[in-house]
Formats: sequence, C-alpha cells, structure tokens
Amino acid sequence: MNSLDPRVNRLPAIGQPGQILPKAALDQLGTFEVFVQPKDGKAFQHEGIVHAANRDLAFVLAKEAFTRRFLCTSLFVADTRHVYVSPTTEGNTSAMDQLAEVINQPGTAEAYDIFVLPKRGKQHVHVGQVQAVLPQEAMWKAKQLNLHQGKVVYNVWAIRTADIRFTTEEEKDLWLTLPEKKFRDASDYKGGDKLKEFLERSKTT
Amino acid sequence: MYGGGNTFDGIKTDSVAQEDPAKLAEFEARIARGEKIEPTDWMPQLYRKQLIRMIEQHAHSEIIGALPEGTWITRAPGFRRKMALMAKVQDEVGHAQLLYSAAETLGKSREKMIEDLLSGKSKYSNIFNYPTLTWADCCFISWLVDAGAIVNQLANAKGSYGPYCRALDRICAEESFHLKYGHHCVIYLASGTAKQRQMFQDALNRWWAPMMHFFGPSDKISAHTEVLMRWKVKMATNDDMRNQFLDMYVPKIWELGFTIPDSNLKKNTETGKWAYTEPDWEEFKRVINGDGPCNKERLEVRRIAEERGKWVREALKSPKTAYVTPLA
Amino acid sequence: MSNLALKEILYKMADDLLVFGHRNSEWTGFGPLLEEDIAFSSMAQDKIGQSQALYQLLHQLGEQEPDTVAFTRNANQFHNCTLVELPNREYDFSLVRHFLFDTADALRWQMLMQSSYTPLAQLAAKVRGELRYHTLHANTWIKQLGSATEESIGRLQQSLNELAPYALGMFERSPYEDQLIADQIYEGEKALEARWQQAIEKTLAQTQLTSPDWKIQTPHLGGRVGEHTEHLQPLLDEMSEVFRIDPGAEW
Repeated sequence: MNSLDPRVNRLPAIGQPGQILPKAALDQLGTFEVFVQPKDGKAFQHEGIVHAANRDLAFVLAKEAFTRRFLCTSLFVADTRHVYVSPTTEGNTSAMDQLAEVINQPGTAEAYDIFVLPKRGKQHVHVGQVQAVLPQEAMWKAKQLNLHQGKVVYNVWAIRTADIRFTTEEEKDLWLTLPEKKFRDASDYKGGDKLKEFLERSKTT
Repeated sequence: MYGGGNTFDGIKTDSVAQEDPAKLAEFEARIARGEKIEPTDWMPQLYRKQLIRMIEQHAHSEIIGALPEGTWITRAPGFRRKMALMAKVQDEVGHAQLLYSAAETLGKSREKMIEDLLSGKSKYSNIFNYPTLTWADCCFISWLVDAGAIVNQLANAKGSYGPYCRALDRICAEESFHLKYGHHCVIYLASGTAKQRQMFQDALNRWWAPMMHFFGPSDKISAHTEVLMRWKVKMATNDDMRNQFLDMYVPKIWELGFTIPDSNLKKNTETGKWAYTEPDWEEFKRVINGDGPCNKERLEVRRIAEERGKWVREALKSPKTAYVTPLA
Repeated sequence: MSNLALKEILYKMADDLLVFGHRNSEWTGFGPLLEEDIAFSSMAQDKIGQSQALYQLLHQLGEQEPDTVAFTRNANQFHNCTLVELPNREYDFSLVRHFLFDTADALRWQMLMQSSYTPLAQLAAKVRGELRYHTLHANTWIKQLGSATEESIGRLQQSLNELAPYALGMFERSPYEDQLIADQIYEGEKALEARWQQAIEKTLAQTQLTSPDWKIQTPHLGGRVGEHTEHLQPLLDEMSEVFRIDPGAEW
C-alpha cells in the first residue's frame, strides 16, 4: 500500500485486497465478566467484558482494558457462563422479592459471591459472599441475610467463588504506579498560562 | 471519539405494527419514566435493530478513528506528546472494545460486526476518510473532532439502553483527557513559531468541511427519526448538535487567532443559532459511499490486521470456553 | 564511583526501553485482538515512561534534557541491544521478543532494587509492578500460543530460533562490568544472563516449544557500543521527524 502512514507502508501484503473471507462460526472467543475494586474497603463493581481463551488470559487483558487509569486495588474475572442471573425487575419491585425459596439442598456447600444492580443503567455491585450448594440457594440466602440492606435492587448475580480468577496478594503491586500515570488524565494538560501569555503577546503586537 | 451523522434505515410508520401492543406500551412507558432498558427486557424488533446499527457504527468509528491519529504515534515530538498520543489512540481502541461489547448484548457478535465493517455493509464516521497530512492535522482531530464526539456522546449517554449508557459513561470520562490534550497541543502550535501557527491554520482549512459534515446531514434532508427520538435512541437532531459544537468551539478557535474558512460563519445573537455556508451534502454522500480520499486504505488496513491476527485468534479457541452474549 | 560506568548502564537501559517501547507502539490499532491491542500499547507506554525516568537520572548526572537526548542523537550514539530495534514482523515475532526482553528486563530491575546507587534502586522499587505485569502478560501468552495449534507453535518456535542470537546480545559485557559489580550497582551481565536462561526455560518447559541451545549461538553484539543493524537509523529518523522541524520549538 502506498500510504502517508509509515506504519501502513510497512504492513505485509496478505490475502487479496478488498477480499473479505467470511469468518468461521468458531472464530469467536469466550466471554468473561470483569469486576474492579477502585479502593481498599470499596465494593467490587462490574465494569464490562473481555473476550479471551481462558480465565488467566482474561485477567491479563482485563487489567489494561479496565484499570489503566484512575484508581484500582484489585480485579477479578469470571466466565460469563458461570454467572447465575435472576430476573430483572423495575419500579418498586425488587429482584430479591422475585426469588424462589431454595433451601437445604443436598450436597456440600461452597462459597458464592453475590452482586446486585442498584439502579437500571448502572453497574452490578458486589454485596458479599454466602455458602450454598446451588446458585439459586445462594441468592435466597443473600436475601435472608439482607446483603442488599433492604434496598430495592433490580437484578441479582451469583458466581461460585471457585470459578473466579482473583488478584493474588503479590499481584496487588500491579497498580503501584497507576496514580502516577498522569499523562492519561485531563488534569495534566492545563494550557491556561500558555494561552494567557499568548493572548497578552498578541495584544501588544 | 465518535462520528455523528448516523445513518438509520428508512423507518416506515407501520414498522411496529406487528409488535404486541401491551408489551409495546409497557416498554414505551418505561422509557417515558426515564428508566433504562436492560438486555433481558422485552424490546421491539425495530429498537433492537436500530440500536445495534447505531452502536456498531459508533464502535467502527473508534477502531477506524485510531488510524489517522495512530500514524503520528511514531512521530510525536518529544516524550510528553509521544506518551499522550499513545494513550489517546489506545483509548480509541478501548472505546471500540467497550462499544462492541454493548452491541453484543443485543445479540450480534463482535466478529460479525467486524465482518460487516470490512465488507462495507456497515458504516463508520465519515471524517476518518480524510488524511492527516501533518502533526497539526493530528492535533485538530484530538481537539476538535473529539470535541464534536463529546457533544454527541453526552447526548447519547442520556439514552434509553443501559449497556450503551454504561459504556458511554466510561468513554466520556476518558474523552475529557482527549479534549484537554488536543487543546493543549493546539495552544502550543498557536503560540509557537510562525511555521507552527501556519501548520495548524492549514490543518484547519483542510478539516473544516469534514468537521461540518461530522454531525450528519441537515435536519431538513435527514431521515425521519421521530420514533427513535421517542425511544431515546437518537437524543438530539444533527443540526442541534452541530450548533452546540459551533457555540462551544468557534470562540475558542478564534481566541487563538486562527481563521475559520467560512465567511458566512456568524452567530445570530437573538436566536442563538449559528449561520454557516451549507455543507456540501453531495460530497458527504459520495465519501460515505466509499469515494473519499482514504476509504480504501482504512478498510484495507483493518482487513490486513484481521487477516494477520487470524492465527492468534485460532490458537485462542478452546473447547473449554465458548462465545456467549455478554450479560450487561 | 565513576560517573562513566554509571552513565553507561543508565544509557543502555534507557535506550533499550525507548526503542523497544517505540517498536511495540507501532502495533497500536493493528493488533490481533482488541483487548491485546490495548494491553500491548500499555506496556509500550510503560517502557517509554521508564526510559524517560532513566534519561532524567542521566540529566541529573549532567547529560542533556531527556527530549534532546532521545530525539536528536544518531544511531551510532545509541546503546540499545540490537534485539529491540528489529522491525516488528508478525505477532509471533513481536511476542517472542517481548518474552525474551521482558524476562531479562524484570530480572535486571529486580537486581537494581538492591543497587548502591539510590536513585536507581528507588526507581526499580517503583516500577516493579509494571514489570510484574509485563512478565505475567508474556508468560501467559507464550504458554497459551506455545501449546495451542500447529501453526502457533511453529510460528513461535521459528521466532524463538531466529531471535536467540539477538537476545544474547542483551548481555553484551560492558567495559565497566567489574567496576559496576564492585561498586554494587548491580550484579553484572553474566549473573543476569544465567538467571534469564533459567527463567526462560522454566516457561518454555510448560509449552510444546523447545529452548534454543544457548551454547551454540553466536550472540549478536555491538549494540551497546553503537554498532547497530540497518533498522535503527530509519526508526530514529521517523521518531524525530516532527521534533527536528524545529528542535528549539515547543510542541
């Protein structure tokens, strides 16, 4: 290609120009949900998804996709298929009130992490952990324990804790220099003084 | 960054006739109350279709928009500009990632969307079909094209679809860096040497017409979008957004002593509306349909990137994972 | 402690990071996957940020401003290893280079955390999280692609074989080697190289890739003394294209 862009001029010729091969149905990677904790003591919040081959790669990719500016102390990811989802409600109806009672299931209880949607259009927020055999049971327990603090919530998610790729203790230094990355922040580009000086100079000439 | 001037399918008034009237009424009432629609909610087919189309176009604009500025990453003058431009273009790729994800919640996969971009079936913002000849062109985009994008995105962030609003909230927070960075670059060119000033004036001359096209055809000639406004898919008319942009940025351009190449540009202080020479909408149509200076290159670069990445994506497939629609 | 020895190590590290970050930034917008495009760009930004911090240390030792040093020298004044200046080629090549370079770089910074030269030790402590990410990223990808398809394994193996002699060039001995060790600036290139080989082999052992036989490689040397491949000067010309329009101007 003959381009103004030196990077483009270095691109290799590949395939036929203009020829688009339809993507194979399988040219799709897995979907992973990403949760971020901005500060110690603050709740984890759902931020979005990444596509990846597995949890470890999803973790690596999520780190720069979702925590490359502002603050972050910890991050975790889970396969979308491992998120158990309640019905969504609206108005004054809480999703907690739509849950079916599921108790005393046979089997060994495991930890589940619970998330709620406090407002439509906002993010799901982590509200705690419960022990249960089934995700339905985990949700019911979350309701009994009032993890949502009596507030109306519009959707509930339950993820088996063992299915989550957490940030390890030693990985917490991944965000060590994040507060110093001012070049990604509007506050680092104050042009006021330069502008003022320029305007003064323009007046006199 | 985001180009406005979305193209919507021609909407016939009977497009919602086959929908269940009770469900439709409930859906419309929810929007009227100001509540957001979430992916698992019932929605009219037309709403789903137009949203996919709009969010997809937005995502394509980001990934294509990374190209005209990306060309200056390897040439940015000095550490400060180099770091900032890298982060800025990275953000555009990041915005594409967020927006494709939002569109995916409506049931169209990212791969399918990229395929439709490459085949020309779906569009992206027209403004990225123009070349960035000098560093100053790159500064024009960072400041003013992003400024236009913000006008557009702030409006859309008040729309009705939850996942799109969430993506836009993130995006708008990042755009404030782009805008400040871009303005900072232009202030330095304006207050610099005669050569630097001239560089930006030339860029302004080249980019003004595409910038006026950016918000899409005049309301007088653009498609009927009443139902999309009622459903809070489209949040402001093209002319309103263009006027808002002119109101905010023309004074700032003039403040720096640059000349905008339109002698008719003037604000009517009574109506608050800006008068300007009517943009050449024939040129707009011609470029959007493929005949702009860079259309071929932009799509070809994306095609090559996709082809080159194919073996990587193949190697990431695993029987243990599968593509599923994102949750939110 | 002689400033010459100290400047030598600072220059070679800073030049490595600048050229490497610059090369990797060329992938922005062209990556194989959107998420990876973002991650690769972040690491390039980290590298260039680190190089700037090192040029700043040099400035404190009497060298010129970071911008002047980075944007106005010619290739023969650069001390980077030749590994980092090679063009990007395909993603396998860039990824394997990232793995080889960052494994060494992380170990180098780790050594420097104990440096007797306090500003460098402080900087090393500060950037350790960035280095943790770069090696986590490299190892995760090498493990994935190094055990996936026939094509991905083949591509990575070929890049590994091709890059091996250049990688050894990272450890080209400095004329001040003994002095730097004696002054406890760091433990020297030989110790670094040994640790690096172990780390590389540890990751490769978890894949279907074969480690190159390091003993039979001829290291590609010269970079540390300004003898470069034909690829560095064009890279620098492109990097300084705008800056050189008017080096006195503020951009």
